[in-house]
Amino acid sequence: MDKDRKNIVVLEPSKIVYEGLTSLILKSDHDCFFFHTENINDIEILFAQKDISVVFINPITVLNRLNEFARIRNHFPDIYWIGIIYSFYDSSVLSIFNDTFLITEDISVIIKKINKICKNDSPHSQKDVELTEREKDVLKWLVTGFSNKETSNKLNISIHTVNTHRKNIMDKTGIRSMSGLTIYAVTKKIISLD
Amino acid sequence: MYQSSKTFITENKIMLDLINENYSLLLFLQHFNIDFAVNNKTVSELCNENNIEINSFIVIGNLYNGFYPGEDDVMKIVDIKSILTFLKNSHSFYTEDKYPELKKYLDEIKKSNDSKDFQLIEQFFDDYFKEVLEHLKYEDEVAFPYFNKLLLKSNDKQFKTFSAAEYKNHHTDIETKLTDLKNLFLKHIKIKSDFNLKRKFLNTLFGLEYDLKIHSIIEERILIPLIEKAEAENNG
Repeated sequence: MDKDRKNIVVLEPSKIVYEGLTSLILKSDHDCFFFHTENINDIEILFAQKDISVVFINPITVLNRLNEFARIRNHFPDIYWIGIIYSFYDSSVLSIFNDTFLITEDISVIIKKINKICKNDSPHSQKDVELTEREKDVLKWLVTGFSNKETSNKLNISIHTVNTHRKNIMDKTGIRSMSGLTIYAVTKKIISLD
Repeated sequence: MYQSSKTFITENKIMLDLINENYSLLLFLQHFNIDFAVNNKTVSELCNENNIEINSFIVIGNLYNGFYPGEDDVMKIVDIKSILTFLKNSHSFYTEDKYPELKKYLDEIKKSNDSKDFQLIEQFFDDYFKEVLEHLKYEDEVAFPYFNKLLLKSNDKQFKTFSAAEYKNHHTDIETKLTDLKNLFLKHIKIKSDFNLKRKFLNTLFGLEYDLKIHSIIEERILIPLIEKAEAENNG
């Protein structure tokens, strides 16, 4: 499966709201998977099993259990919580989430919020397809059969940097296998077979 | 990718209407060994007649219609025999129909194109096809027989060494290189050849990718959880 796809949990007692929200987001071409739960108790199981990045949450599900919610939030600091608002809440309640949206708002507002979170993960926009000179250097060694470690030695950079370059190369070219990248490198004259 | 405005398949839907709405379901029927002459039969009539476990049929059919299976729907499946038939038939479809078709197009393109770039792509495809065959052979010869034994609740010692966990590990992602091939064609390399030929090649590639994606969702999200459940029951 696509590793870059976002997994989003919707914690919302109303099935109608869940179905409406998710189908509108999916229709906008946003690439994500949804998991529905009605109860905060189930959420930790989901966190353990799936790589969750965002939770849409109806405040009503945690209103009487704020302590428990705080505990879960502390336990999973990387998760981004977005409140689904369709009635009045005290601002102190709303402040427990990273963000909120009104149910009457246009779906584009919600998508913008998701995009903002996703963008933090991938610094390169889709349009940016040309490899930088440094990325070409890294690619050259990798497709010649050098490991990440050997490549980092050759170029005098850290393994971490090699990995970052490697990820960017794959994102930009859309090619993930080493043999595919080799063909890319040959046809773009980054390496020569002779 | 999995969003859709197509019908959600349920047991009382008429199969013919579903096919008219999404003809990919023909392939889905083929994988279940169901003939295309479906008449006016409902989903449940068709399943009864062909001896297919209806929950498997509905969950997989809905994947073709763009609906991702919920865990509850998966756990409703009482018998994975139909799923194994489906997966086995898809394997034959890949090895006997789709990949040879791709190979045929590449051979034809080759007649008018002897560039180095094209040779590289051809080599990439041949190596990839070999890998696919190996992977499918492993599933047919090692994994599926184990699953079948598990269904018979057999305590055959020979199979004690294998498990769903091992299947998971071995379960390589054959979609990655297919996507690479597609991207090489669409993003990076301009192959000089007949328009029709190139389009047919890409069409087949997309068709294969669509079916493979569903195939791997069935394995990962339906088969493996059910096998793990069966293993737990057998041990308990």
